[in-house]
Amino acid sequence: MNDMVTTAGMPVHERTTILGVETSCDETAAAVVRGGRDILSSVVSSQVDLHARFGGVVPEVASRAHVALITPVVAQAMVESGVTDADIDAVAVTAGPGLVGSLLVGMSAAKALALAWDVPLVGVNHLEAHLYASLLEEPALEFPLLVLIVSGGHTLLVGFHGHGQYRIMGSTLDDAAGEAFDKVARYLGLGYPGGPAIDREAMAGDPEAIAFPRAMLDNGFDFSFSGLKTAVINHVRRHPDVSTVDVAAGFQQAVVDVLVHKARGAARAMGAKGICLSGGVAANSQLREAILDVCVADGLHGYLPSRTMCTDNAAMVAAVGWWRLMADGASPLDIGVVPGIGFPGTIG
Amino acid sequence: MLILGIDTATPQVGCAIGGHEGVLASFHSAKGRRHAETLVPAIDFIRRQARIELSEISAIAVDVGPGLFTGLRVGIATAKALAMALRVPMVGVSSLDLVAFPVRWTNRLIVSVIDARRGEVFYGFYRQVPGGIQRLSDQCLGTPEELCSEIIARGEEVLAVGDGALRYGEQLSDLIRVEIGETGLAYPSPGSLVQLAHAQAVREQFVNSWELEPLYLRKADVEINWETRERT
Ligand SMILES: [Zn+2]
Repeated sequence: MNDMVTTAGMPVHERTTILGVETSCDETAAAVVRGGRDILSSVVSSQVDLHARFGGVVPEVASRAHVALITPVVAQAMVESGVTDADIDAVAVTAGPGLVGSLLVGMSAAKALALAWDVPLVGVNHLEAHLYASLLEEPALEFPLLVLIVSGGHTLLVGFHGHGQYRIMGSTLDDAAGEAFDKVARYLGLGYPGGPAIDREAMAGDPEAIAFPRAMLDNGFDFSFSGLKTAVINHVRRHPDVSTVDVAAGFQQAVVDVLVHKARGAARAMGAKGICLSGGVAANSQLREAILDVCVADGLHGYLPSRTMCTDNAAMVAAVGWWRLMADGASPLDIGVVPGIGFPGTIG
Repeated sequence: MLILGIDTATPQVGCAIGGHEGVLASFHSAKGRRHAETLVPAIDFIRRQARIELSEISAIAVDVGPGLFTGLRVGIATAKALAMALRVPMVGVSSLDLVAFPVRWTNRLIVSVIDARRGEVFYGFYRQVPGGIQRLSDQCLGTPEELCSEIIARGEEVLAVGDGALRYGEQLSDLIRVEIGETGLAYPSPGSLVQLAHAQAVREQFVNSWELEPLYLRKADVEINWETRERT
């Protein structure tokens, strides 16, 4: 077994076992991953039910739940992994982006564990973790890859050229795709979270019954969803008797069309060998189908991580922690959280 | 029995290690870097200064509030994770108790007052008893005016301590029988935390890490709004 060492980094190898901790939004998660690849356990405690009546994630409610859940979730991840405390070689934790109060709970717990176990701490970027989510399920993945990260907080097209080598191809200029789903679902009275609610409703509707606008924004691969959201609301106001299933289907089709069109263009522009999905909205069944169709048509690999790997989890945090530990080494124990941090060191 | 105490319920970050011999090492910082950045390095610092391995710690004590929510959670999440990793029990101590404890030799009635921001304070009344203090009231959240009327109703000489007492010092000093504690006593003392927790630990008054809860005394705004909406 060869240690892979870089000048800045720490020796990690295929037995290096990392506990990941993720609390950036409304999932309290912990996972044990060996060698950056092998998931020994992954526990996610979702707070969806706590936030449902408020129609969105409430930061103070999320922070309170994280404090209550963090140690039980870590303890369960340890038990399910079958490893002992002494087997943990490092603790990786999401340092941002995310909700500050939520991030602080995971960061505090992770630092305490690193101190108590006397192992390195490694603070990681949540968005970079989403890129590594796909590697966990597709070890044979070929670079360069186009990754579409779509969630309640983010809509990003990222060129993944190799470990630590990223180029942002496009991002949203206003609402994140998941945010648009939540807002439209709330307006239609479909409940929270909006993504699955609209997905379900749309199945019974005709996506071509209502032609909603597709903001293609000719310049580049950026997105805009606020106009679509307004168009949906205006349409329902003007036609109060419109069938909700058709509105949901038409709206979802418009979002998917834009996401797929831009992803396809970006993949071509960068010469990607495949397209990969990540983030909560990547669980949307229509988006998954449409991306696969494009991949088949364009001769690309389509990597669709399982729904549990698309949504926030700590296995992806532990996985990227393994790479970051090797590339940059441990983080000092006085690091803080960075709620508004962007994508990590991009190329070109 | 060695106890590690953690206090982050106010703008101050504090930690201490002690036991039956008293406080062996302590740290506090009331200004500067944020709680989550300071706390764990400070714990590492004091245990090195006291030449103590974390494995020698028998219990983790933590200030459970009331106090500023974000800071409070940093301390509690750190304390819970330490207790879990070291496989030791926890002791929770109220921030108001911690502010009242160092002034226990006064004959006056003690009111411990912590600034809750947004024009409100957390407070509780205490009296000296042999070997310590006794809390006479519930720990409450109220406006300085509500606190003043409660002080008047009690009709006694009062010593008001804590950062809330200092912030609303002028209002409180208008009441003739109130004296205000000095700035050095404004925040919970990590040393007192270890002392009070040690007394509880000797009586085996422990909680498990998964049972320990912050004392918020104020609901999340959204829940308050929700309840108002539901009632109307
Ligand atoms: Zn995410």
